Amino acid sequence: MRMTDPNEDMLDDLFAQARRVAPPVSNDLMARVLADARRPEASVEAPGILAGLLDAVGGWFAMGGLATATLAGLWIGVAPPLAFEELTAGLLGDTVTVHLGSASGFADFGELEDG
Amino acid sequence: MSIAPDPDATIPDEVLLVAFANGDQQAARQLASRLLPRVLAQATRMLCDRTEAEDVAQDAMMRLWKLAPDWRQGEAQVSTWLYRVVANLCTDRLRKRRGGVSLDQVAEPADDTPSVGAQMQTAARMRALSEGLAHLPERQAQAVALRHLEGLSNPEIAEIMDISVRSVESLTARGKRALADIMAGRKAELGYEDD
Repeated sequence: MRMTDPNEDMLDDLFAQARRVAPPVSNDLMARVLADARRPEASVEAPGILAGLLDAVGGWFAMGGLATATLAGLWIGVAPPLAFEELTAGLLGDTVTVHLGSASGFADFGELEDG
Repeated sequence: MSIAPDPDATIPDEVLLVAFANGDQQAARQLASRLLPRVLAQATRMLCDRTEAEDVAQDAMMRLWKLAPDWRQGEAQVSTWLYRVVANLCTDRLRKRRGGVSLDQVAEPADDTPSVGAQMQTAARMRALSEGLAHLPERQAQAVALRHLEGLSNPEIAEIMDISVRSVESLTARGKRALADIMAGRKAELGYEDD
């Protein structure tokens, strides 16, 4: 015979009471939700930390350029063609290192979650 | 508010969502009428705070509107996706809340018209339950809430949380035991001392 745990009995009673909670949707909430649905930007991500960071560097377009420049820089750094090395050495005289973002090459924007 | 009956109750949610994505605002109204009460109820049961629950409900619906143009038909049900979004948004708020639940604007139960004393006791119990959930690991809190507050089956929860049924069973069992231990210390305060 299965013994019942009095603590779990209390919890089951609390769960049963919680399941009966059914708040009415206020006119205000419905209006807010439908107003959101009417926004033309409804399919555009709302500004957040990422958008703020992007704005700081000039938006996605600039980020694309930055990413391209970073990747190009990485490639040049890993495998500098001889002619290019001679050219930069001639122009700059020495090695120039530019750090863009974190060690991984990009700023860590954290985890983007879908909900 | 009283919500008008859905004249097209047989139309699947995702069909309405596609219609909305194509500019049909009537589809948005139908979706909101269908989905918002359940979304708000789920958030209220977990958070026990009317303002926070309404904010979560609005946020979840906003995410649905934004996702509409990219909704991949046939991959998931709209209701399943919303359960997941609301559960995530609620556990985010429970995490931030650890250490103290706001005691104002506690959601009141909608059933019957009990005495003021009974209403206060029920509100205190619901608040304590929400506080208890806030002390569980997030995945346990989500599984327990979906199972015991929403009354969903383990396979439904597995789909919502994108885990196996066995994992759901494990999470709900461990979560319920931990929650029972947390709530045990509040038995007398919540009026269960003579039970």
